[in-house]
Amino acid sequence: MKKNGLTLKIFGLLVLNDVGDSIAQLLMKKGLVQTGVASIDFGNIVEFTLKNASSPLLWAGILICLLNFFLWISILYRIELSVAMPVGSTAYIFTPLLAMFFLREHISLIRWAGIIFIILGIHFVSQSTKSEPEAAGS
Amino acid sequence: MIKIIFIVLISEIFTSAGHIFFKKSTNELEVKSVRGINGHVSFMKDILGKRDIWIGLLFMGMGLMVWLGALNEGDLSLVFPIGSIQYVITLFAAKLFLGEKIDKMKAIGTLFVVLGIILISMT
Repeated sequence: MKKNGLTLKIFGLLVLNDVGDSIAQLLMKKGLVQTGVASIDFGNIVEFTLKNASSPLLWAGILICLLNFFLWISILYRIELSVAMPVGSTAYIFTPLLAMFFLREHISLIRWAGIIFIILGIHFVSQSTKSEPEAAGS
Repeated sequence: MIKIIFIVLISEIFTSAGHIFFKKSTNELEVKSVRGINGHVSFMKDILGKRDIWIGLLFMGMGLMVWLGALNEGDLSLVFPIGSIQYVITLFAAKLFLGEKIDKMKAIGTLFVVLGIILISMT
């Protein structure tokens, strides 16, 4: 399959996709916090579902997830996954930042170190597909 | 912590299943360029006409519901990075169901992701 390189437009779409994902996570978490079911177990799983089903923030997050999914598919259709994946991994930076600013979460140095390991890992995984483009599954 | 990892794991197994079905359906797609509004509409029509995309969406929906359960259990900055365990699950699922190879780079990358998750779980 012939695909484009990373143009500025596609890069913009990828950033949009990542920011969208992070905002969706933030909205869903905010919705869950507002609903305020402390901790789920088999006893309150129905209560958890019913109470959260009427949370507008939660539904807004889910809607963005869905829109994001179509955006992602359309991005993957234009460029190789190996290119999209490392740029796409910036959600792992955006999301904790949003959590810091909007949810007042404290992020320790060890947690940031873990996040950097994950991003490096995603980078390595994506480099592997570069050498064998579309080798499998087709 | 064990509970969070367990719920994330279940969620990401569903999500990975979704990815496998998405990949199966896009593998079946006829290649043509996606340009302009008309191009996008026809692309959407093509992709929504595939049966596997709907199975994939169903799995993704289940994954998202379980994910909300995980998000409820801990900080966003804790649960979200743990979600990267999806890279590990998808690696094995792609080998098992799509016959994709696991080479050295993928193995090293996955190891880094796992190390990152262990570090995050310690906080």
